[in-house]
Amino acid sequence: MPPVPARPDRDGDQHLRLLEDAWERVVPSWRDGMARRFGTHQWTPLRDESRSYLEALRAMMDVLDAAERDTEC
Amino acid sequence: MTAIHADIDALAGLRAALTRFRYAQREVADQGDDAIEAARASLEAKASHWRARLEQARAELAACRDSSEAAADDPVDCSGYARAVGEAGERLEHIRRWQQRIDQQAIEFHAAATRFASLLQTDLPRAEEQLAAVIASLQAARHVQAPGG
Repeated sequence: MPPVPARPDRDGDQHLRLLEDAWERVVPSWRDGMARRFGTHQWTPLRDESRSYLEALRAMMDVLDAAERDTEC
Repeated sequence: MTAIHADIDALAGLRAALTRFRYAQREVADQGDDAIEAARASLEAKASHWRARLEQARAELAACRDSSEAAADDPVDCSGYARAVGEAGERLEHIRRWQQRIDQQAIEFHAAATRFASLLQTDLPRAEEQLAAVIASLQAARHVQAPGG
């Protein structure tokens, strides 16, 4: 089994930032009704749900790290 | 480059980024699950270690007390064994509390992870398909506009 990265939440944050950058490049030139609908119904829920998940993952990893540190033999 | 070209390039970039995001975040989710499993296994190994230490310490304390009772006129000091029992019990309890905390946190995490998994599996491909349709319509419009410049 490959080694587990210490903090997958940080990888997740980085991937979300890359996606947000791609969205920011689209916004200036895509302003029609389809863009607004996509933004409202696809992009915003996707971004918010991703942030929510990554925050939960961060909290989980914080607890795992603390448990490991606090129970060292 | 016309405005339509710019739209197509940026939208194609967003679509590709969504696809990469979907695969990358699946990997992140798997790594998160693996980390939880690994931490649980690590804590269980520590708990097992301290359970064995506690059992051994209790046996040594009992043996010491038996010796002490057998030699009533020359009592043996068993306080060191008693301390060892206490320490092993505390360490074991400490680990159990962390195990419970991880279980509680995992319940909260699981709710968010389930929603996110659904997003990756269902919503993201749908968004990619929508972008593909938008890109196709823009490309068609470009071909219509091209003859006139």
